[in-house]
Amino acid sequence: MSNVILKNVVKRFGSVTVVDNLSIEIRDKEFAVLVGSSGCGKTTALRMIAGLEAVTSGEIFIGDTLVNDLEPKDRDIAMVFQNYALYPHMNVRENMGFGLKIRKISKEEIDSRVQEAADILGIHELLDRKPKELSGGQRQRVAVGRAIVRKPKVFLFDEPLSNLDAKLRVAMRAEISKLHRRLGATIIYVTHDQVEAMTMADRIFIMNKGIVQQSGAPMEVYAQPANRFVAGFIGSPAMNFIEATLVSENGVLHVEAGDFRVQTPAAFSSRLESHVGKQIIFGVRPEDISLHDPSANAGEGNTVTARADVVETLGSEIFVHLSQGEHSVVARMEVPEHPLTVGQTLQVDLKMSKTHVFDKETSQAIV
Amino acid sequence: MKKKLVSTIFFYLLVTGIALVVLFPFVWMLASSFKTQVDIISWPPKFIFSPTLQNYQKVFGEQDFLKYFFNSTIIGAVSVGLSLVLGLPAAYSISRYAQKKLAVFILLARLMPGISFLMPWYIVFSRLNLMDSYVALILSHMLISLPIVVWIMSTYFSTIPREMEESAMVDGATRQYAFFTIILPLSGPGIITATTLSFIFSWNNFMFSQVLSMEKTKTLPIAVYNFVSYAEVDWGGVMAAAVAIMAPAIVLTMIFQKYVVKGLTMGAVKG
Repeated sequence: MSNVILKNVVKRFGSVTVVDNLSIEIRDKEFAVLVGSSGCGKTTALRMIAGLEAVTSGEIFIGDTLVNDLEPKDRDIAMVFQNYALYPHMNVRENMGFGLKIRKISKEEIDSRVQEAADILGIHELLDRKPKELSGGQRQRVAVGRAIVRKPKVFLFDEPLSNLDAKLRVAMRAEISKLHRRLGATIIYVTHDQVEAMTMADRIFIMNKGIVQQSGAPMEVYAQPANRFVAGFIGSPAMNFIEATLVSENGVLHVEAGDFRVQTPAAFSSRLESHVGKQIIFGVRPEDISLHDPSANAGEGNTVTARADVVETLGSEIFVHLSQGEHSVVARMEVPEHPLTVGQTLQVDLKMSKTHVFDKETSQAIV
Repeated sequence: MKKKLVSTIFFYLLVTGIALVVLFPFVWMLASSFKTQVDIISWPPKFIFSPTLQNYQKVFGEQDFLKYFFNSTIIGAVSVGLSLVLGLPAAYSISRYAQKKLAVFILLARLMPGISFLMPWYIVFSRLNLMDSYVALILSHMLISLPIVVWIMSTYFSTIPREMEESAMVDGATRQYAFFTIILPLSGPGIITATTLSFIFSWNNFMFSQVLSMEKTKTLPIAVYNFVSYAEVDWGGVMAAAVAIMAPAIVLTMIFQKYVVKGLTMGAVKG
C-alpha cells in the first residue's frame, strides 16, 4: 500500500504559519493534485512529505510507516522539481541512474531500468547528452525518467510544467496522465494552474492560506464549490460574483442588487430561506450565461439586460464582458450567428439551476 | 560622429592613465632587475642601459633561492589545502543554513590587522617549540586563506540551486554524499578562484613569515630581505628576487583569470 496520510500537520517558519493543521489522505494509486495560488502552502506540504522540510507538529505516514523522522532517502519517494534539478555534470544516463547507483544496484540492472524508462518517455537518443544540451521539454522528460527508474512508492511533482511553453505544457499534461495509468503509482502533484489540476487529478485539494479549502473529484469541486475561494479559483474564466441581497416576494426568492434581479429556482428555496433579507454573494459561471433564447426558460425570471463592453473572439467561442450598472460579469458563449458589437445592449439568460449563493460573512456556499 | 571620437579618445586616455599607474612600478622593477647598482641609483633615471643578468645570478647562485621557493610553495599549498578542507563544508553550511553572523565573524579575522595576531602567536609557538616550523607558518597562513575560501565559496554555493542536493537526497543520498558528488563537482570555478587568490595572498605574505620563520622555513618575500643590509641596499638583487617571486603568482593569475573573474562575479547577476 502506498497511501499518504497527513494528520494535523503544521508548519511554521518563525511566527508565520505556512501549513495550518493539514489533515488529508491520498489513497493508493491516486493522482492527487494540491492546487492553490502562490504562498498557499502547497509546496511546503509536498516538501514535508518528501522530508525536505521538518514538520512543526503533526504526523505524516507513507504506507503504514510514520516518516516524520525519516531522511528523504529512506521514504521511498521520487520527486520532480520545478526547475528539474538535473545534475549538470552528468549525462542523461548518469542522471537517471544516480539514485540506483547510490542504492548499489548492479550496473546491468541500472542499464536495463534506464533503458526501460527511456522507452516509456521516448528519450533514447538523449541518453548520452548533458542537461545543457537539452530543450526544456526534454529536461522535463529526463527529470520524470529519473523519478520512474527508481520505482518508488510515491511520486511527488512540484509544479513540473510551469517552466514549459503553453503548447508543450498541454502535451506533457497528457503524458504524465498516461504515465500515471501505466505505472499505477501514487502521485502527489503540486500546481498553481487549476487547468492542470482539473485535467489530471483523480482528486483535487484546493489550498489557501495553509488550509485545504475543499477536496474532491475535479467535477465535484467545479460543480459544488464549498466556498467563495474555491468557486473563484477553479474555472477559467473565473466565476462571476455579485454582492446582492436575498429577497422574498410572494414566497418566491430573488437575488437583488440594484437593477440586477433574478429569481432563484424553487429547488434552492429550502436552503436559502434562512438567508432572506441578508447580504449574500451570488455566483454564476461564464458558461452559464447565454444569449436570450425566447423559446426556452420563458418566465423563469432569469433574463437580464446588459451592455457588451468587450467581446473577445477565441475562434470556437467568445468571451463577452457584460455590464449592468455597477456590476460586470464575463460570459462564455458559442460564436453567435450575428457578431456582437461593443456597446450593444443584450438580453442574456442565466442558467439558474447552475448558479451559486454564498454567505457574505462566512464565504461558505449556501447552494 | 565627433562626439563618438571624443569619447573614444577619452576612453583610451583613461585606460593609458590607469595602465601607467598600475604597470609603472612593475616595469620599473623589471627594468631595475637588469640594471647595475650604478644604473639604478643614477639621476636622472636611465631608460636606456646595457642589461645585465648579474642580479639574477646573485639571486639563484649566491642565495638558496630554491629552498625559499620550496618553503613558500609548501606553506602556501598546505595552508590553502587545509583551508579548503575546513572552509568548503563551512561555506556550504553558511550558504545553506543562512549563518550570516558566523560568516561575518570569519571575515572579521581577515579584516583585523594581521599584526594583532603576531604577538600571541609568537608566544604560543615559542612555548610549543614551533618557531621556525612549517606547522606554525601553515597555521598562520591559514588565517589568510580560510576567510577567503569561506567567503568566496559561501557566495558561490548560494548560486547553486538547493534543488540540486535536495534532488540527490530524495534519490537516496545523504547531505554529505550530495555535497561531495553533486555540489563540489559543480563548484570548480569557485574553488579555483578561492585557491588562486588565497595561494597568492599566502605567497606574498611577508609579516607572518618575517616573525615566525627563521632560516629553515624562510619564505620568498623574506628572502628579498637578504639583499638589504645595514650598510646598503642591493637594489638590483631586491628587484631580481621580486621578479622571481612575482612570476609564479602572475602565471597562476593568467592561467586562472577566466575562472577568477567568473568566481568573483558569480551571483552578481541572474544567470
